[in-house]
Amino acid sequence: MEYKDYYQTLGVKKTATEDEIKKAYRKLVRKYHPDVSKEKNAQEKTQELNEAYGVLGDAEKRAAYDELGSGHQYRAGQEFRPPPDWGRNHGFDTNGGFGGDHSDFFSDLFANLGGRRRQQPPARGSDNHAAITIDLADSFHGATRTVSLHLPERDAQDRIITRERTLSINIPKGVTAGQQLRLAGQGQPGRAGPGDLYLEIQFTADKRYRIDGRDVFETVPVTPWELALGGEIDVPTPSGKVTVTVPAGSQSGRKLRLRGRGIPGNPAGDLYLLLEVVLPNADSARAKELYQTMAREMAFNPRAGG
Amino acid sequence: MTQLVMSGVLLEQSALTLEELAQACAVETTWVVAHVTTGILLEAAPDDQSEWRFSSADLVRARRLLQIERDFDANDDVAALVVDLTDEIRRLRSKLDTAGVH
Repeated sequence: MEYKDYYQTLGVKKTATEDEIKKAYRKLVRKYHPDVSKEKNAQEKTQELNEAYGVLGDAEKRAAYDELGSGHQYRAGQEFRPPPDWGRNHGFDTNGGFGGDHSDFFSDLFANLGGRRRQQPPARGSDNHAAITIDLADSFHGATRTVSLHLPERDAQDRIITRERTLSINIPKGVTAGQQLRLAGQGQPGRAGPGDLYLEIQFTADKRYRIDGRDVFETVPVTPWELALGGEIDVPTPSGKVTVTVPAGSQSGRKLRLRGRGIPGNPAGDLYLLLEVVLPNADSARAKELYQTMAREMAFNPRAGG
Repeated sequence: MTQLVMSGVLLEQSALTLEELAQACAVETTWVVAHVTTGILLEAAPDDQSEWRFSSADLVRARRLLQIERDFDANDDVAALVVDLTDEIRRLRSKLDTAGVH
């Protein structure tokens, strides 16, 4: 695995005080907050900052981490193996540590350390949290999806190690973004039984759809004559193709509501189709002629009276 | 390789108790109780704590509140305000995306 220089991540000196580390972290975590940052890699950066502060912000973990660097000049990105007896003097546990958001470097280091050093493991293992990304269509039909996670487990020597595990998960029909799927007993090991794993449902970004609770908003491109003359059009929707009737005399931007065609549930959400006109290009003599005929014969000025 | 397909339970079908939410957030139950008492979590909470039930949205909210409180030593009201504002930004952004405005 690659050595990670947490001091470099936070932009502080190795001699920085607790207070300096905290201030540096806060400044950066505000700068890269995924909801406000304009930086492209904000999400990734935030995870790095959290990982670095998770170690340097904790006196015991920091001491253990410093011990790694002593006697060696590890550089960020350098190939790295922790010494076998590393962490002997540090009796912390790793409560609330891993579960998807940390690098291998962090997981391997602190998972091994926690498992070996923990004098009295917690009665029940900690719960883990991770996210699973699915297509909107998966929610309409239900699906089985696989997800790879770094999850803690006990090895043959009864130590807690993190291992990448691939889980196949049943996605129940009707799930929506933000909902939590609880997998009993799939969290961290503990004396009185393992904790649980919580998977947050996220939808793959799809610019065709906007989802609000169980309601789905879909933009549907239509021709000018479909809007003007009305008629039946076929629309691909997350639940499959549907035929809808466009009322004659519709304008671009008209919203058609298909009750109960949103995300399934009790009650099911609605599907809103937003009709958006797309004009054919006047890229042939015939097309130009048709536009010219309309211009001549329709006497239409949308700015009249404005 | 055949692999066991696991089925979870949605919190919408089986909501969390006070103790389960505390465990899921790795906090003491007193933290949860304090936030329910001030109305930051679980807007309409029954008097009897054993009847409190927390859904997915409550769990997500609780974990985000905790993160803000810890990162910035923020008091609970400020953390709640930050989380509410962030939700509003996400909602508006999602609307902008659909409208094709960037």
